[in-house]
Amino acid sequence: MPKISIIVFSEKIDKIFPAVTLATTASVMGWEAELFFTFWGLLALRKGYEVKEVSSDYKGFEENLRRAISSGAIPSWREVLEQGKKTGRLKVYACSTTMGLLGIKEEDLIEGVDEVVGAATFLSKAKDSDINFFIS
Amino acid sequence: MRADLIVDARYKSCPGPLLALAEAVMRANPGQVIMLLATDPGAPTDIKEWASNVGHKVLEVEKIDDTYQIYVEVST
Repeated sequence: MPKISIIVFSEKIDKIFPAVTLATTASVMGWEAELFFTFWGLLALRKGYEVKEVSSDYKGFEENLRRAISSGAIPSWREVLEQGKKTGRLKVYACSTTMGLLGIKEEDLIEGVDEVVGAATFLSKAKDSDINFFIS
Repeated sequence: MRADLIVDARYKSCPGPLLALAEAVMRANPGQVIMLLATDPGAPTDIKEWASNVGHKVLEVEKIDDTYQIYVEVST
């Protein structure tokens, strides 16, 4: 089966949403999918953290996005992620360096994180991927 | 065309229709036909791509006003 690996660098909703959408869509297509949350992207995996802002360049569209989510036109990124996780083919990795940098402990992470890993582990997983993205 | 199940994903954007269909397929029995209702213009091609990847069959796509009726047969 094909495999996609995506590095999620930002916790802004306009970055998280496409990353998670691609990974979940891949997993429901029968592919393997991996998401590696690093730096600011890792904030989104912290319990209680609400992803609600868009990138500063696109602030003007924040209300559109919020409306689309609250009306149900687009699902929340967490719902999308959960559906991907249900397939058993979507893995979520948290960057160990960022955990230390931001003072985040394993117990602070939301359910659905498979493993805390470093760069070498992620790279060795990503090298077998057919598609690799870095979304920043 | 006859359908055993209807999944209404109208006014949902990508990936909503596909995820709604994929969830329904997991609960359906082989051989059943699901009719997906979608208004997302990307849905017909998306569903065909998905089906060809996972082995289900798109039997028919009909467009009535803004709504696509996509008939999918669940593979055995």
